[in-house]
Amino acid sequence: MTSTQPMTPTEGEPAAPPVVSVDSLSVSYRSGGRDLPVVHDVSFELAQGRTLALVGESGSGKSTVAATLLGHLRHGSRLDGGTVRVAGHDVFALPARELRRLRGGTVAMVAQNAGHALTPSMRVGRQIAEAGSDVPVLDLLEQVRLPRPADLARRYPHELSGGQQQRVAIAMALAARPRVLVLDEPTTGLDVVTQRGILDLVAALRDELGLAAVLVSHDLGVVARMADEVSVLRSGRVVESAPTRALFAGAEQPYTKRLLASVPRLTDDGLALVGDNGEREVRARAVVDADAPVAVSAQDVTVDYGTARAVHGVTFDVRRGEIVALVGESGSGKSTLAWSLAGLRAPSGGTMTHGSGDLARPARRRPAALRRLVQLVFQNADTSLNPRRTVGDAIRRPLRFFGTAPDRRSAHARALDLVRDVRLDPALADRLPAQLSGGQRQRIGIARALAGEPDVLIADEITTALDVSVQAEVLRLLDDLRRERQLACLFISHDLAVVRGIADRVLVLRHGVVVEEGPTEAVFADPAHPYTRELMAAALEPDPDARPLVEDVPDWTDAAQPGDVWTDHGGGHRVRRWRPADTSDTPDAAVTSVSEGVS
Amino acid sequence: MLAFVARRVAAAIGTLFLSSVLVFLALQALPGDVATQILGKDATPDAVATLRKQLGLDQPAWERYFDWIKGALHGDFGTSLVSGKPVGGEVAQYLANSALIAVVTILFAVTGSLVLGILAGLYRDRWADHLISTVSLVGMSVPEFVVATVLVLCFSVALPWFPAVVLYGPDASVGQLLPAVWLPALALAIVMAAYIVRMARTSVIDVMAGEYVTTARLKGLSTWRVVTRHALPSALLPTLHVIALNVAWLVGGVAVVENVFNYPGIGKLMLTSVQNRDLPVVQAVALISAVVYVVCNLAADLGAMALNPKLRTRGRT
Repeated sequence: MTSTQPMTPTEGEPAAPPVVSVDSLSVSYRSGGRDLPVVHDVSFELAQGRTLALVGESGSGKSTVAATLLGHLRHGSRLDGGTVRVAGHDVFALPARELRRLRGGTVAMVAQNAGHALTPSMRVGRQIAEAGSDVPVLDLLEQVRLPRPADLARRYPHELSGGQQQRVAIAMALAARPRVLVLDEPTTGLDVVTQRGILDLVAALRDELGLAAVLVSHDLGVVARMADEVSVLRSGRVVESAPTRALFAGAEQPYTKRLLASVPRLTDDGLALVGDNGEREVRARAVVDADAPVAVSAQDVTVDYGTARAVHGVTFDVRRGEIVALVGESGSGKSTLAWSLAGLRAPSGGTMTHGSGDLARPARRRPAALRRLVQLVFQNADTSLNPRRTVGDAIRRPLRFFGTAPDRRSAHARALDLVRDVRLDPALADRLPAQLSGGQRQRIGIARALAGEPDVLIADEITTALDVSVQAEVLRLLDDLRRERQLACLFISHDLAVVRGIADRVLVLRHGVVVEEGPTEAVFADPAHPYTRELMAAALEPDPDARPLVEDVPDWTDAAQPGDVWTDHGGGHRVRRWRPADTSDTPDAAVTSVSEGVS
Repeated sequence: MLAFVARRVAAAIGTLFLSSVLVFLALQALPGDVATQILGKDATPDAVATLRKQLGLDQPAWERYFDWIKGALHGDFGTSLVSGKPVGGEVAQYLANSALIAVVTILFAVTGSLVLGILAGLYRDRWADHLISTVSLVGMSVPEFVVATVLVLCFSVALPWFPAVVLYGPDASVGQLLPAVWLPALALAIVMAAYIVRMARTSVIDVMAGEYVTTARLKGLSTWRVVTRHALPSALLPTLHVIALNVAWLVGGVAVVENVFNYPGIGKLMLTSVQNRDLPVVQAVALISAVVYVVCNLAADLGAMALNPKLRTRGRT
């Protein structure tokens, strides 16, 4: 394709004829005999070479709108009115054959989760080849910057990492050289570093090929970085539409303001509390008493999966009333460590102790009293609650099991109290998990964990699956609870901005090894390890003009020696020894040997 | 991949060994003495003792087990107590007749029900789906001997197209048996098909709702290509094991249906030998059923491997 389009569109340029125009689009979904409107009167236009972001929380209809560009409606959905025109064609009026040609050639889609969007039984090279015939597969794989394309094309999707899968999905979308690219949450399942790589790639390809792009995202950081224009959707309606800079500089609608205010920022030095009109107040961090007792102590913990070492000699303490964050990208071993503490995976070395017992034993061998005191909250509340039990039941069970409630009646009363404690209406206790929203379910997950009156709470990516405004509420709840109950909390997250707001201390993990640790303020003020800097550089702020918190990330190599592992920066802030990788060293085995593992 | 195959084959052999022990023990545990059974209640103790010696019944059980297994591995299953002929040859003859029914049944039932199941899944909630689902449900709920009887009524009595019963012995030729194969095969197929249809339908619906099928559609591929290349390999995976279990079930189902049609197959042989206490034959038939089960499941496992690259590429990086 010859690119006569401007390489980098700038705002305020005279509008070229739109390649996409959506006019008062309405879609409804048939459920239980009733038609529920999911998209209502949505209109927008998009010119060649420009990027429009559709922003909204779950249920806003943003993905439904995006899919209509390819003439696709979910099973059970119906077009109620309006038109979608792409490159001059009314997509819902096209005969099947023409529609297929449009999908195969003019518009292409990159789906949210490449792990699910690639056919598991087909080699990726063939899947790409199927999508278009003009460009050789190997060229496409090279174009999405995948190493060793010939070898990669012969692999099956499960043999690729999440980032590689997403690159393959992008190559597949570009195979037919489309004019419009629809990106549905293209980086949502990926960790920050991988996300940054994918976004840079998409931006480069978009400019290189002069594509018009529709980006669906709930992540305002991603939107700020990628889009020229933004449409904010809520319950199927456009709340606000504006050029990106204008929107982020001064949103007009309260909903947009609230959404923007809910995004945690790397510069917050405490938890942001968001008001109804989007006013933002940063609550100062709770002070942990200097003499607060240590609740959990891990010394030199090692966890193996077969021959792969997922966690390598990690040491830390969590005191009562303190939140300690474990940060790292997927595969860093942070979740493995959390699971070990919870007793789901026995460590292969080191010690883990709690004031009242040994945590190195798996949960089933721990005495009930100790099991009660150490509780885990899962990442996905929707899959960790029994779908056939009411949520009240789910909370009552540990109450009876651990004997915290002596009889049925008091268990019932306590369960309602717990539902109230997590700021929910006690009437919700009679509902099934499927009848609650994601945020409500996660609160129930927390209430269930609190039922045993633990003093240690392990929170494994508990806000990752939630919308930003809900995330803000759950974070506030967690912060309140640790103040009220003096909980010792181990908070696992890959999102540095979230960690900055809530954690008192931070441990940065890479390939199962702690590379930097210290009080949150100290680490964020002066990230001293290149990996920490890389994570911070990759984090996206909800501001198109944000300057990265750190600029330079040097190439580096691990320089820790036995007995001389740390560089001490004072005040508990210490950094694993490293040096610039200028010479032709082989990287240290301890850091690079573990690439497998669960995070 | 080779390791996977080797593990499966080893497990299959282990299962066979265990089932041979169970078959042997179960028959040992039967009440009554075989020699007394054969000679009748009035036999003199001397005659019983002689026969016991002749049959090897005075040996300890484990010795008899190993003799039996050693023989079985060489194709020698002993001599029939009733006919006095070698069991191996007799069983093989009946088995071949049953295999004729089985092959016809499998060919039609498996392909037919897969196609119907896939169609029902693709046209979910439309009339084709309702028709297929209802009919297959009816087929599943009626016992095979009823289906067989109804078929005889329709296609032998009302419309004299096929023979109602077989008048030949076990040594009948394929040509003689072929006209009689269809009704038993149809009866078995009707009962068997329902499970496969329902399983295929459910998994096709599951897979068609999956994200990768949507992705394939949105690539602009034709429905045929989406279904055959993207959906079916995954949709067939859970169906495979249902097919294997059904094929194995044929061994039992055949016994009932063969008796309805007086068909000289393995099921009929089994029934007569049990009635006659012809232990060597019963043992041989039971062992063969076990082999059929194990082989079917092994085939399903290997088929699953062919469809699922995750199993094939295990251990490769």
